[in-house]
Amino acid sequence: MIVLAVAALISVGIRPVSAQVLVFAASSASGALEDLAESYSADGLGDIRVAFASSSALARQIAAGAPADIFISANPQWMNYLAARNALVPETRLDLMGNRLVVVTPRAAPMDVELRTDFPLVDEMNGKPLAMGDPDHVPAGMYAKAALQTVGLWEALENHIAPMHHVRAALVLVERGEAAAGIVYATDAATSSRVSVAATFSADSHPPILYPAAIVAGRSRPEVERFFDYLTSAEAMTIFTRHGFGSVRRMDR
Amino acid sequence: MWSLTELETEAILLSLRVAATAVIASLPLGILVAWLLARCRFPGKELLNGLVHLPLILPPVVVGYLLLVTLGRNGTVGAWLFDAFGITLAFTWKGAAVASAVMAFPLMVRAIRLSLESIDPRLEQAAWTLGASPRWVFATVTLPLALPGILTGVILAFARSLGEFGATITFVSNIPSETRTLPLALFSLVNTPGGEQGALRLVMISIVIAMLALAASELLARRISARLRG
Amino acid sequence: MTGNAAIEADIVARFGPFRLNANFAAGAGLTAIFGPSGCGKTSLINVLAGLHKPESGRVAIDGKVLFDSARNINLPPHRRRLGYVFQDGRLFPHLTVHSNLTYGTRWVAKSDRHQDFDHVVELLNLGPLLTRRPRKLSGGEKQRVAIGRALLASPRLLLMDEPLASLDVVQKAEILPFIERLRDELRLPIAFVSHSVEEVVRLGDTLVILSEGNTVECGPIEEVMSRIDLPQVADLYEAGAAVRVMVEGHDDTFGLTRLAFTGGTLLVPRLERATGARLRVRIRARDVALSLARPTGTSVLNVLDGRIVEIGKVSGSLMDILVDVGCPIIARITRKSFHELELHCGQKVFAMIKAVAVDRSSGDSANVTKIIS
Repeated sequence: MIVLAVAALISVGIRPVSAQVLVFAASSASGALEDLAESYSADGLGDIRVAFASSSALARQIAAGAPADIFISANPQWMNYLAARNALVPETRLDLMGNRLVVVTPRAAPMDVELRTDFPLVDEMNGKPLAMGDPDHVPAGMYAKAALQTVGLWEALENHIAPMHHVRAALVLVERGEAAAGIVYATDAATSSRVSVAATFSADSHPPILYPAAIVAGRSRPEVERFFDYLTSAEAMTIFTRHGFGSVRRMDR
Repeated sequence: MWSLTELETEAILLSLRVAATAVIASLPLGILVAWLLARCRFPGKELLNGLVHLPLILPPVVVGYLLLVTLGRNGTVGAWLFDAFGITLAFTWKGAAVASAVMAFPLMVRAIRLSLESIDPRLEQAAWTLGASPRWVFATVTLPLALPGILTGVILAFARSLGEFGATITFVSNIPSETRTLPLALFSLVNTPGGEQGALRLVMISIVIAMLALAASELLARRISARLRG
Repeated sequence: MTGNAAIEADIVARFGPFRLNANFAAGAGLTAIFGPSGCGKTSLINVLAGLHKPESGRVAIDGKVLFDSARNINLPPHRRRLGYVFQDGRLFPHLTVHSNLTYGTRWVAKSDRHQDFDHVVELLNLGPLLTRRPRKLSGGEKQRVAIGRALLASPRLLLMDEPLASLDVVQKAEILPFIERLRDELRLPIAFVSHSVEEVVRLGDTLVILSEGNTVECGPIEEVMSRIDLPQVADLYEAGAAVRVMVEGHDDTFGLTRLAFTGGTLLVPRLERATGARLRVRIRARDVALSLARPTGTSVLNVLDGRIVEIGKVSGSLMDILVDVGCPIIARITRKSFHELELHCGQKVFAMIKAVAVDRSSGDSANVTKIIS
């Protein structure tokens, strides 16, 4: 809903600059970011508002002039997109946290899954599909496709997937048992009590899942920089880890 | 430039098939419900009216979720459909048709109901006294006179089905050549960096189809009205 | 009347606050149902047609029971085999005249069909209209098609609810002869609702009078029209006797026609009817004067001797006197004259008939009152 309001503001061309800090973040980071914002304001450090959507939608909105101060993407691709348009403050770009890719199955209908090329996963799925983000454009989907290709299961599974517009939507399918299994982030699996992790992709079977963060060009302000620093603090990392994210060595551009 | 890519052809044909199926399959129910709301008085009539209009008011994604809950393989009705008849709707183009039909239903019912309400019930009475049973009265007098409204309902429903996105993607996902209708294909392209060109092409195609449908309906509507007015 | 009455009705029905209590039996021919607006005429027809269910009672047509609350019988309209001609025609706009006409035929078993399409078309002169749409028809044409449509449903009884009410004088004159032909040629019982005395007397064989939801009287027209004790009859401006006559001959010298009836002969301006033709005429009460002695040197041609049989109620300055001249006729005179002439029942008087309303039959353009003086 916040995204819609912001989009409306974009169309009018207003770029409000306020003491409040507006963060655009990928949906998969929603739980962690909400906790961070709450803890930050509980400590009296400032007022943070976060808007969640898919990285692609957020990136396009920022490029069109949305009044976001900080952008946290679910993959480097969309950060690169903004960098190419000079929409970031380049020195501030860093990789905030990492994630792992897991295969989940419904807790009510668990399944054995082995991530090797001749594993008869399609037979095990028994007519139901494998839910995942759309491999054409959803970051989680693109990672999943890469991972499946690495372990040699992509060809067999290609025609048995249900591409969802949102990795959380894929999770819902697995929760409801409509999909036999799903490939989601480890952080997503952690949020649900109705799925169990059947297997975890090794980190080198896919490009590293990194969540780059940066300050949007022209939005640098004391309160923005303060919160951005907070994001890389040890306290923030604790919160990220609690939600299932992994830490990442800082990458300076 | 003027020829269609495979993705585009596939999306167009699928969209047409899904929309046509949705409309044809829901038409009998649409006429029945419209007739109930137009002509009958019964307890719970306002409830039925509200239910029919729900897809107009609810966010499409919510409707899609409700479809998943009821008609998915593990759904309340879907499980029975699969066990008894082997029918699966989730992740199939038939499921996409169901999603479209549900979202378009209120538009269809409204148009038909309006048309039925404008028919003089005294004409039906006359047919009754001439020996036609209530069923035959409906078939030979009510339906023919309601034809313009039915046609409007069909066109509206068809157009709505062509543009249906939220419920479809939630219920049947975005499977190429199975559920990737024009709006879903458009969505994919819009979300892919560099997909703007392809997206624009699909937008033009959607507009052309919509215009053709509208023109056809105008023509038909005029012919039918002329015949009915005598 | 042979065997079963054509229409038997004994019902109590409610229409909101209005209560209809109809009880009558009528024979073959045209039964006119007469009364002022709001008396329940259309309600009664709707009960006969099955469009409204009475609270209690019995309805039978030609002996076939359509409704009987005691035996829980209530046939729905489409099974009653009645033809209903509505006041507003109600032709189907999406069908041609031809399809409208044949609409009811398909619901009738072949063995039960007693109307021939070509015959009905000829009877009602519908030939030139067959391919047209109802929208393109005049009021009179629409009503004729409506009548034809009801006929071709091969009904046991034809119901007509004020079919001429929405027509103008010319259109009415156009249709009346067709209805007469229906009555005379088809031998089909007809229930004809009207609030027009002219229509009722011209067309009806039996007259049923309704008032405020109750059946006031039912009987042959000539009898009922002479009931000066019934306010529904006596208070009519058009009140007067209905008399059956036969054309006896013509007087070419003065252009007159002689009509024979039970009271003698009436002279009227020349009628284009053959000798021996049977007619019904109306002698309006206001056109009849009384004299104690046979008048001499008067221009009135028709003077009949008779006897006063009944003295009607006084209303204002006028009153009706029923005189038997061989058949009953009504004279409307002033109270003053009644008083001065000292009239009483049984007295011999002479009735001077100033005008005889002869309702002309088909071929003529309008109903004309001949004033003879």
